[in-house]
Amino acid sequence: MAAIVDVKNVHKSYGDNEVLKGIDLQVTEGEVVVMIGPSGSGKSTFLRSLNKLEDIDSGSIEINGWDISDSKTNIDKTRETIGMVFQHFNLFPHLTVIENLMLAPTELGKQTPAEARETALRLLARVGLADKADVKPDTLSGGQKQRVAIARALAMNPKIMLFDEPTSALDPEMVGDVLEVMKELAEEGMTMIVVTHEMGFAKQVADRVVFFADGYIREEGHPEEVFAHPKDQRTRDFLNKVLNA
Amino acid sequence: MHKWLGKVLAIVMTIVGVGMVMQPAQAANKPHYTIATDTTYPPFEFQTDKGQYRGIDIDMLKAIAKTEGFTYTLKPMSFNAGVQAVQAGQVDGLLAGMSITDARKQEFDFSKPYYKSGIVLAVSKKDHNIKALKDLKGKTVAAKTGTMGAEYAKKMAPKYGFKVTYFNDSNTMYSDVMVGNTVGTFEDAPVMGYAIKQGTQMKIVTKPANGGWYGFGVKKGSNAALLKDFNAGYTKIVDNGQFDQIVERYVGENGYQAKESASQAKPTMWSLIIENKDALLHGLFVTLELTVVGIALATIWGLLLGTMGVAPNKFIRGLSTTIIYCFRGLPMIVLAFFIYIGIPNLTGSKIPAFTAGVITLVLNEGAYIGSFVKGGFLSVDHGQLEAARSLGLPYGKAMRKVVMPQGIRLMIPSFINQFIITLKDTSILSVIGLIELTQTGTLIIARNLQGFRVWLIIAAMYLIVITLLTWLSNWMEKRIH
Repeated sequence: MAAIVDVKNVHKSYGDNEVLKGIDLQVTEGEVVVMIGPSGSGKSTFLRSLNKLEDIDSGSIEINGWDISDSKTNIDKTRETIGMVFQHFNLFPHLTVIENLMLAPTELGKQTPAEARETALRLLARVGLADKADVKPDTLSGGQKQRVAIARALAMNPKIMLFDEPTSALDPEMVGDVLEVMKELAEEGMTMIVVTHEMGFAKQVADRVVFFADGYIREEGHPEEVFAHPKDQRTRDFLNKVLNA
Repeated sequence: MHKWLGKVLAIVMTIVGVGMVMQPAQAANKPHYTIATDTTYPPFEFQTDKGQYRGIDIDMLKAIAKTEGFTYTLKPMSFNAGVQAVQAGQVDGLLAGMSITDARKQEFDFSKPYYKSGIVLAVSKKDHNIKALKDLKGKTVAAKTGTMGAEYAKKMAPKYGFKVTYFNDSNTMYSDVMVGNTVGTFEDAPVMGYAIKQGTQMKIVTKPANGGWYGFGVKKGSNAALLKDFNAGYTKIVDNGQFDQIVERYVGENGYQAKESASQAKPTMWSLIIENKDALLHGLFVTLELTVVGIALATIWGLLLGTMGVAPNKFIRGLSTTIIYCFRGLPMIVLAFFIYIGIPNLTGSKIPAFTAGVITLVLNEGAYIGSFVKGGFLSVDHGQLEAARSLGLPYGKAMRKVVMPQGIRLMIPSFINQFIITLKDTSILSVIGLIELTQTGTLIIARNLQGFRVWLIIAAMYLIVITLLTWLSNWMEKRIH
């Protein structure tokens, strides 16, 4: 299948600190890629650069057919095709849950308010929160918020979903519900790139695991292979720490 | 939110509209002039309890205008502001018991001298020590800024060893002497005589000195026609005896008595309110008009500045920061003078006092509003903008739909605070001749010398309005949440 993400030789620095030192990555349609690695390894920065929340210094990023490293590319149009889920949910607190879902489709003229409402209700039912449509986000638990955030990203009908540590800010008992929604999404064939520390999810759901350290991709491969027979010393150290903690 | 914003705008439009209609209609065939006068300089100019201006200058101008067939609008303001307003071309002439001096001749063209005066020293009635200038050694005296009395005081100070403090209006100056902060004042003889006749507890201890003539002044090299009319009319009213009648009306033995029942019991608070009802209400109206128009426009300007302050473009952010820095750094009184007096000096076109006042409020209050609007937007979590942008919303839409609604909620207490400050700050605009509530108080006291009671009434009026404004703001805040 064709690559819908094609990243070549991406570099990025914050001042003197180079956080991405030449990243190459291709993702094909329907693939679930999980990025793991120690804190500060550059994986979140890299994920955020895929929808230009971070600007890169050099290299090229092509996603869903748009070359976003070209400054002439309409980034708003590109982002319409990329769903993003944040660690801290970033729900809009002044809007109700359903308004959170309806905002972008109606403001961007993708759907009439009636259509957007119908889509939103369907998506909320899918993440198990149909009864929360008319409440404000601050009345929800963390797990519920993150499921709403996933539904909000899906409301734009994206071709690819980016997850930036979606369960890191959750209480342990909430993690399962969110991972369950992500798993279902993967089974339905959504292309997904996920930054996470949930090794269980990586093993179960990922088609490919990418290991980041010190601004490089050190190793990538099928999860069974990477988890069972890590080739890189850094990968071995990291997996030792997180799996035997 | 949009509904009440619409309503506020509608009210502003209405008030501005009414303000325009209220401008005096100008007769097409007669020349029309704007003449500045002092707010209080009895017997030459002062306001009666009916809110009308009276005095030798005022009656004389009326008689001359009638004889020569021109119309005029009278603009009372402090003497100093009047001098500057003439120089800036904001008014056509200044008729305010102004002495003709060589220095002033550099800037003014004067009419024929119309009244001869001299400077006297006056002290508190209870003072028995000061009988001549030599008794002033080591003491402080009061003088009114820009007057001949002030010049005389300054000239005599080194010789007799006294200090001078300056005031902008006669009444504050007299009060200062009567409460004993200063031991005496140098004032024009007729002015001082009239004040004492009206009950000011002071006495004149020296003979008129440094005698000079009063003249009507226009900006040097302009308004020759007005000056010619004034001179011609003055000659006529002197010849037919009208001028002497006018003078007699104010300084004669049976002259005008501001307090007709001066010997009776002191006025009560209630009688003061009833007596000055119209003036107080008008002052309140001007204060509210300035506040409402000022707040509405300053809010729009402040929102714009605040939005610019968080813009992605570095240049726009810098522009916003610079504007906020400049206008927050300027005292409002300086800004008011700069706009009303300074700008017409540069551009040569007049700015009506109300407009200048509103511009002052907008620039000053707008800078404060801009500052907390920017702060409010910045305090919205950056993740909100990122989430909105990641959904494909362009920057403008993301700001309008996601960041601003949250930021504005945080700003509501600051807005309420700023509204109250704006209401109070309108009192500063009295310096450019706007007769709002504070200036109304000054004018009433100039006439009846009931400082304590009148300021109490004015203070109560401000408090009532501020209370109502606070209630209204709290109600709006609840509606928005």
